[in-house]
Amino acid sequence: MRGFLPFLAHRLFRALVALWLVSTVVFVVMRLSGDPVPLLLPPDAPTSEILRVRRDLGLDQPLPVQYGVFLGNILRGDFGRSIHFREPALHVVTGYLGATLELGLTAFVLATLIAVPIGLLSAMKRNSAIDHAAMGLALIGQSAPTFFLGILFILLLALKADLFPTSGRGDWRNLVLPALTLGAFTMASIARLTRSAVLEVLGADYIRTARAKGVTEAWVVAKHTLKNAAIPIVTITGLQFGTLLGGAVVTETVFSWPGIGRLAVQSIYNRDYPVVQCTVFLAALMFIVINFAVDLLYGVLDPRIRAH
Amino acid sequence: MELTRRDVLKGAAALGAAGAVSGALARSAHAQTTQKKELATAQGGDISKFDPHFSTSSNDIRVSFNIFDNLTSRHPDGKLYPGLATEWKLDGQTTWRFKLRQGVKYHNGDPFTSADAKWSLERTYDANVKTMVATVFTTIDHIEAPDPATLVIHTKKPDPLFPARLAFYGGQIVPKKYTESAGADGFNAKPVGTGPVRFVSWVKDDKLVLDANGDYWGGKPDFDRMIVRSIPETAPRIAALLKGEVDVITQLPPDQGEKLSANASTKVQGALYAGLYVLAVNSKRPPLDNPLVKQALSLSIDREAIVKELWRGRGIVPSGPIAKGDNHFDASLPPLAFNPKEARERLKKAGYKGEEVFIETTVAYVSQDKAMSEAIAAMWKDVGVNVKVEVIEYSVRAQKNREKSFKGVFWSDPTSTLGDPDGMMWRLLGPGGPQDYWREAKFDELGNAARFSVDEKFRGECYRDMTKIFLENLPWLPVIQPYEDYGVQKYVEWTPNPNQQFEIRKFNFKFRRA
Repeated sequence: MRGFLPFLAHRLFRALVALWLVSTVVFVVMRLSGDPVPLLLPPDAPTSEILRVRRDLGLDQPLPVQYGVFLGNILRGDFGRSIHFREPALHVVTGYLGATLELGLTAFVLATLIAVPIGLLSAMKRNSAIDHAAMGLALIGQSAPTFFLGILFILLLALKADLFPTSGRGDWRNLVLPALTLGAFTMASIARLTRSAVLEVLGADYIRTARAKGVTEAWVVAKHTLKNAAIPIVTITGLQFGTLLGGAVVTETVFSWPGIGRLAVQSIYNRDYPVVQCTVFLAALMFIVINFAVDLLYGVLDPRIRAH
Repeated sequence: MELTRRDVLKGAAALGAAGAVSGALARSAHAQTTQKKELATAQGGDISKFDPHFSTSSNDIRVSFNIFDNLTSRHPDGKLYPGLATEWKLDGQTTWRFKLRQGVKYHNGDPFTSADAKWSLERTYDANVKTMVATVFTTIDHIEAPDPATLVIHTKKPDPLFPARLAFYGGQIVPKKYTESAGADGFNAKPVGTGPVRFVSWVKDDKLVLDANGDYWGGKPDFDRMIVRSIPETAPRIAALLKGEVDVITQLPPDQGEKLSANASTKVQGALYAGLYVLAVNSKRPPLDNPLVKQALSLSIDREAIVKELWRGRGIVPSGPIAKGDNHFDASLPPLAFNPKEARERLKKAGYKGEEVFIETTVAYVSQDKAMSEAIAAMWKDVGVNVKVEVIEYSVRAQKNREKSFKGVFWSDPTSTLGDPDGMMWRLLGPGGPQDYWREAKFDELGNAARFSVDEKFRGECYRDMTKIFLENLPWLPVIQPYEDYGVQKYVEWTPNPNQQFEIRKFNFKFRRA
């Protein structure tokens, strides 16, 4: 593992810079978007009242001062108090995080478990009816808007077929439709990529050699194909997690799922700067950590990468 | 007992079959009645605050008016009834005496007394507490609580609408002892009131659980438990009702009503909104500073068509600035006229030369706002107005509202907070009010006189004259007084309240039982 520590340090440094950039961009964009105070008060609130609330929230300070305070506080893990909920922003966001992780991970596992075998099957039965059907479905999954899919699932599977609840969080049955909706795009992407990665490997010399020496087809797939096709699949899977976090915004709204995606949208409308900043920061952190983990996983999957 | 895998599977199959059968039965044969003990409702947004003095949003009001009681109460029929005060009278011009209900207990067992009422009202305008309802009781000079059952409130000037003020937001009575000991955050996290439901638990953006207050002075509500869910999107909210997951849904768009009416087990119920949907006018911006131009704009709006086509008939055409159902609404006034020919004449008379008229519309700030803007823009184009529609976001609207920087006309849904023109037209259009874009000395004189008079006949004359001045100058272009519709299961007997309160007290809510 020579060179691993510098590699780790380099990646960590890049992660920190990314986090700093993300926080700064959110800080600036939220300030550009307008003043939260008129949204908090009744429309007939007098100016004195508005000035009073602005002062209480520290919004009367010059922007550079607000930015300095903001960065200093983040370093201490303090994202400020939510303007809307009037409690620490971190506390608000972590309260929603569990629901998003539950939904995101289920969608992720569901997508991977369904997509990899489908991709594999498509590649093995290339140009067959199964292949065409699977890839057709994948195309729909990739191109149908999340909002549309969600409503479609609610109307067909919840209302008409009476299989699942229409919305809300509860037991596993509540999880199925939002997870399918959220996972649809990811599922389709992974299935298509798995198919092409496997096809590429299937054409390789060592597969021909394996078959020539009489190895069974199942063994060829399990031992020689999947492992070699894994690197691109793992890469896209890591990247897709970001898509899942983004997709959560729409899915959580459609299914009234109490997660950070829905919180983020509402907080943007409410101009709740601290909550938006904290949500984006944590989402960026998760994305960075997962891709960091993917990088490390490469080393496990392919010893040649570890050597570099 | 030992369970085998087979037992579990058998059990599951039996449960599934039973569920399916009972589900089907519940939907077909018993759609009109229920055995439910739990009321489930879904609204378009979640609660933001439980402390009633820290919010005026409708999603919060639906809940806070049920956890808490006010001294007076406005029922769905629009009239004022006793609440925690059983009677009240005006002594002289500025002294209101309230007799308070005895034997009432808060959800934590503490007794309700006049000290709570005094403290609670004073809390709303206490500069240290920094409430969001600090402007509601500005007419109060001081409050006395001579004995536990009596409250005496002195106003600075005569305030004929004082009992009405007590019925709306800011007027919810919070417990002095508990609120002081729990602190603002503690009270907001675990609210305690005297109302028909008590707080149990809340998971943000998921659900709120409330239990019926068995000791409620107005009788225990007709359920044991109430669940309030927030389902922001319309389609899933309607699906939840159709599937029977919830009993009542709020914010039903007019174009969805037919679907619910056609369904065997659901119905639509609406209350004529206590207020109007208007295009408020920045009358300082030419050409809107010319009353003739505004008259032409008003005359060229085909309000009948808007009500019929865009609202599927779920609304009425206003006759002026006073909402139907309010004090001093003049039923003899005709609905606002549609006369494109006359509109063209007035534009000509005004010397209108094609100056731009902006409609700054929001999307879903009020129901149908964008669709109505497009329709009205087309109507204005027909009479030769150079109209531009611009879409602005909700919070941009809030900002422009505060800065009074609208470029032309914009949507507003003035709510009649007191069931009286004082709490609507005068609150919003009066000098220094949030929509103060136009002044006329006579209008102001009448508005002030009506505000501080306890002579209802005189007040009625003032508002009649103000309406005349209004119709000439049109600081608002009233468009519609809509119905606010709810989707309701047929086994629910309930009347919606015009002012967005969600009245579930025993006198107004019942499950029809078999």
